[in-house]
Amino acid sequence: MVKGEISINEALCKGCGLCVYHCSRGCITLSAEKLSPSGMPLASFINAEKCTACCVCAWLCPDFAIEVYKYTDVS
Amino acid sequence: MNREAVTKEKICTAPKSKTGMPIMHCPGCHYGIIIRVICEVIDEMGIEGDVVGLTSVSCSGPWAYSFYFDSALCPHGRSPAMGTAIKRIHPDAIVFTVQGDGDLGAIGLGCFMNALLRAEKLTTILLNNGTYGMTGGQMSPTTLLGMRTTTTSEGRDYRVTGFPLHAAELVASMKGVAYSARCTVHTPANFQKAKRAVRTAFQKQIDGVGYSFVEFLSACPPIWGVSPVEALKFISEKMMAEYPLGEFKNVDSIL
Repeated sequence: MVKGEISINEALCKGCGLCVYHCSRGCITLSAEKLSPSGMPLASFINAEKCTACCVCAWLCPDFAIEVYKYTDVS
Repeated sequence: MNREAVTKEKICTAPKSKTGMPIMHCPGCHYGIIIRVICEVIDEMGIEGDVVGLTSVSCSGPWAYSFYFDSALCPHGRSPAMGTAIKRIHPDAIVFTVQGDGDLGAIGLGCFMNALLRAEKLTTILLNNGTYGMTGGQMSPTTLLGMRTTTTSEGRDYRVTGFPLHAAELVASMKGVAYSARCTVHTPANFQKAKRAVRTAFQKQIDGVGYSFVEFLSACPPIWGVSPVEALKFISEKMMAEYPLGEFKNVDSIL
């Protein structure tokens, strides 16, 4: 099942690529087509089924652009 | 799987003591991560009502806009002096200063050393990126030997400009110091260690033991002339070879 999800704030992301480097599951990529309002490349969330909501990308994002959500099966 | 039995919960977002102001630093700069370390520790300790943050003349100057607690800008290395004044008027305040390597090691070294000698109950966070990032990449006291900057175009030579400043070791040798550590935020494990170091530093001040000091090695990719990911490698290979990580002093009483 899908364990986690992240949302990337496109107004804050500067495209430094640290989240792409630190994500050990390969869930984030820098998209070449999409640019942020200030003209920077944007990080985008891929491979949603692999995300484990470990929060490493959010901790090490210098621009506070990432929020992490965790799915919990309560049944 | 029953879709209705799944709850979606937000588990990581910006700390409460950080304002919504966008970070003003260059892409890949570690200063934003260090803001998160400080704000998360303050949130976890529940001291946001008592804490006073003093920023300095460096790229950390605009951090006052990012803090939801009391803060002030003390230009040109005078943060420890202003912190002394605040601490003596309000002894219950928890005062920390954030200083760059040029601010603490060059222009403000006198104020800093005198605050150490007086054993003020302050916490200083040093941001060591090995260069004057704000003014365009001149040599700073912590520039590595052989590192090229705009004022040492052939690399830093100890016969002309001396040796790098090891602030954490220097501080640990002073008698009025309760805690001295050096950490980085370039890996997730070091991020957690840095949070523990900052928490211990604040706790030493709350307990009234003495001066506490935490040095951060941080990246400055535009001035170093490398990409943000290559800057992580530069920290682990070059910076950490010159500046070893760890705790250099951790005492419960300075006497």
